[in-house]
Amino acid sequence: MDILAALAAGFAVALTPLNLTLAAIGSFLGTLIGALPGLGPVNGVAILIPLAFALKLEPSSALIMLTCIYYGAMYGGRISSIMLNIPGDEPAIMTTLDGYPMARAGKAAQALGISAMASFIGATLATVGLTLFAPLLAKAAIHFGPSDYFALYVMAFATVGGVVGVNPVKTLFAAFLGLMLATVGLDPGTGTARYTFGSFHLYDGFDPIVAIVGLFAISEVLVYFETLHKSSDGMVKMGRAIPRLREVLQGLTAAFRGSAIGFVCGILPGAGASLGAFVSYTAEKQLSNKDGTFGKGDPRGIAAPEAGNNAAAGGALIPMLTLGVPGSGTTAVMLALLISLNIQPGPLLFTREPDLVWGLIAALYLANLVLLILNIPMVGLFTRLLSLPQWLLMPFVVMVSFIGIYSISHSVFDMFVMVGFGVLGYVLRKFDFPIVPVVLGLLLGADMENNLRRALSISGGDFSILVNSPIALGIYALTLAMLALAFYMARKAKHGPDVSD
Amino acid sequence: MMNRLLGMAFLAMSILYGLAARDYKASFGDPLGPAAFPMIIAIPAALLSLAMVLRPDPDPQWERGAPMLKQGAALAILLGYVALLEPLGFPLSTMLGTALLARLVGTRWSYAAIAGISISLLLFFLFDRVLGLPLPAFPDFMS
Amino acid sequence: MLDFTKILGAGLLACALGATSASAAECIAPADPGGGWDFTCRTVGQLLYDQKIVDAPVQVTNMPGGVGAVAFANVAAKRADDPELLVATSTVGVTQIAQGKYPAGIDTMRWLGMLGSDVGVIVVDSKSDMKTLDDLLAKLKADPGSVPVAGSSGVGGWDHIRMLMVADKAGMSADDYKSIRWVQFDGGSPAVTQMMGGQVGAVSTDLGEIAGFVESGDIRILAALSDDRIPAFPDAPTAKEQGIDVTGYNWRGFYTGGKVSDDVYNGWVEKLHTLYDTDAWKKEATAKGLVPIWRGGPEFETYVSEQVDAMARISKEIGVIQ
Repeated sequence: MDILAALAAGFAVALTPLNLTLAAIGSFLGTLIGALPGLGPVNGVAILIPLAFALKLEPSSALIMLTCIYYGAMYGGRISSIMLNIPGDEPAIMTTLDGYPMARAGKAAQALGISAMASFIGATLATVGLTLFAPLLAKAAIHFGPSDYFALYVMAFATVGGVVGVNPVKTLFAAFLGLMLATVGLDPGTGTARYTFGSFHLYDGFDPIVAIVGLFAISEVLVYFETLHKSSDGMVKMGRAIPRLREVLQGLTAAFRGSAIGFVCGILPGAGASLGAFVSYTAEKQLSNKDGTFGKGDPRGIAAPEAGNNAAAGGALIPMLTLGVPGSGTTAVMLALLISLNIQPGPLLFTREPDLVWGLIAALYLANLVLLILNIPMVGLFTRLLSLPQWLLMPFVVMVSFIGIYSISHSVFDMFVMVGFGVLGYVLRKFDFPIVPVVLGLLLGADMENNLRRALSISGGDFSILVNSPIALGIYALTLAMLALAFYMARKAKHGPDVSD
Repeated sequence: MMNRLLGMAFLAMSILYGLAARDYKASFGDPLGPAAFPMIIAIPAALLSLAMVLRPDPDPQWERGAPMLKQGAALAILLGYVALLEPLGFPLSTMLGTALLARLVGTRWSYAAIAGISISLLLFFLFDRVLGLPLPAFPDFMS
Repeated sequence: MLDFTKILGAGLLACALGATSASAAECIAPADPGGGWDFTCRTVGQLLYDQKIVDAPVQVTNMPGGVGAVAFANVAAKRADDPELLVATSTVGVTQIAQGKYPAGIDTMRWLGMLGSDVGVIVVDSKSDMKTLDDLLAKLKADPGSVPVAGSSGVGGWDHIRMLMVADKAGMSADDYKSIRWVQFDGGSPAVTQMMGGQVGAVSTDLGEIAGFVESGDIRILAALSDDRIPAFPDAPTAKEQGIDVTGYNWRGFYTGGKVSDDVYNGWVEKLHTLYDTDAWKKEATAKGLVPIWRGGPEFETYVSEQVDAMARISKEIGVIQ
């Protein structure tokens, strides 16, 4: 087998003592950066690229270390999602839904263990897919046009109502609120400044990370002071420090399903890891939520989106490597990383630099394994975070959130915006609006609008282009099927839970 | 009642949002233009807000008295911290902000001071030195 | 519990270290990490230190917003006389200034120099029946809406303007070339892959990002918008050769605050020129698809001002600004 021989050569490059040490250091640094609210894999890799240069590493060694930082930061983002209800990066928002409730119920170690297991499965399966089918899948992905992407976003928003929240009206409004926020800033199509009130600071719109940290972290501070005097529920139960294997394996099948869905989302440039996590969670909830445990700490509610977003991140490497098209913020940084190592991704990469590609693929396998080995014992360390006294933990989280934002944008304005989002998040939470749809709207809104406008630019304003593509029609049919299933499940739930279950 | 008020506020916001979009015009070359998408999403947003006004949820419980004061104080600390970050430099403003928040949580002043000093120096070291992300080190008047 | 003594020790160490690095130069990349301006800052910053042109590592600060407008406003207001400051920019930034999308004009800053340039190209899928620029223009003249054209900028951005300049020089009327369908994508590679997927008919953008597709034979260059043929692709004809006298470069360079002294200004021009003369820069630039070109000091200031005038005139003519 050609592929196996090439992969073996890749591993021969990767498996030196130096590279293994770098992999461990990278995983640890990445996890640390990812766990800090406001700093995710995007910034983590960008910040640490100079470190790789400063150490004067060979390209393959630098690649291994930075890949480990990347995966480490992805995993680190889950830690703050689960422990503190603050997503470390965009795709981690779905992990808060069931992860945080589990941590509150004293199952933090189990939640972190599931997340580690599901991330490993998702990322490894995606890497296998990358190893076997990269050029083939890249060819398929280019047939996805603007109207097909638009259909994909319509599907995401049409199904959001069934995913989170108690009152569907409020859930849908939250999504539209996010879409409205997404239109703030310079319009990429024409350069028109929209809803900026004449301020240059709003020209780039709201940075999703600023919004996420505000909506989750700062609003948490206000909620905390409200419930402070009810001392009993302020304390979080500790539970076990190290998860049992049996507990971790509870979400195993969900992780496999999530991996498949996430991988498909990842291959489509522009859809990315957030959509992968979201669709995996939606699908898993519709499939498995028979007792209404989703959103209250269901292990499968962690396993599915975790596997989904890691598989999507792995899948997104395919268009990035073979076409030079970054599918998401994180792959954009990986692209910048390759370019900074003088590797130009594109159609010729696999034939021209096979050593590097297979070295990278070997590095991906290695990074996943190192993280799994490193993180299971570290779970104990992170769960102990919660036993820190509140007077130390709370100000620490707040300050890290602020400084994570400031160190990247150097904008005091962004920090005020973040506090503003904190107040908005508090009000929304008070009135039982789910926050996740707001963030989804903000994340996907611009792409949804751009693809709609691209489609119409291509057709010269003829709306029929939106339904002329068989791919788009397929997605709309799937959307209808999912909605029908959701209504059927809702009706069934009204007639009481199934007795036989 | 509160839910109804919030619904009305969102309704007004959605309508204003949709109306403001009318000013956004493209000169040429973009069939849909910058105004259409905001208008399209303003309509369902307004209808959903209207649904909140007509069929409001039960009102949330509000904490009055001390908790509300503390929330106000926390917000004031956060805003003050942001405003003073560049004038005072990172270590000093973070020391102050952290100590005040720790005190607000209810610990002793001495612990609050320890939290302030340790957290600000730890973070400064981590971000400015280890990660190489420059932070303002000194108050404006010293540099 | 945390060990406070260790943290305090680390903190004190941090303060001690902090005191020594006050004189390091800073390069502002007016974009997020990973983009072209970020690359300019990081590469030039790294090389300035590696080649021992500056004594301390150059600190890169990202200040995204408004296609560079936020960094521009910030430097004008707060750092106009900062002697240790570089800000990355390019033709794209200057186009924004020419169209009045920055808070002030070019006089607000001092323009240091450009170190290299990307070249604009017009490309089609290799399976397309269009073999020359004339083939494309003939189709557009017959029906301006027949070939949707894509690029990495929005309507009125540099990729779009270059395309319209070609149409204009080919003798199309303003009404006609304004009806050419323009599709914006988030970069040259997405535009090219969408063209390979059959969504659009042609792409007008910088060569650097999409050079791999030309080498692999997936796409064909109809015209290079340069004075001479591009060294890496000697077979690709220029627009000039085909009778369309249009060039469209996208240079990469730097400005600094408008109130720095002449000594500081000349010092930076000198340093950048020294860097330009190194083999290391030429190698790095060529690897990124740039053509190394040097313009510095007063010559560069004149060049920028001429370019702004030309860009404003074109933008008015084609109706992007009033």
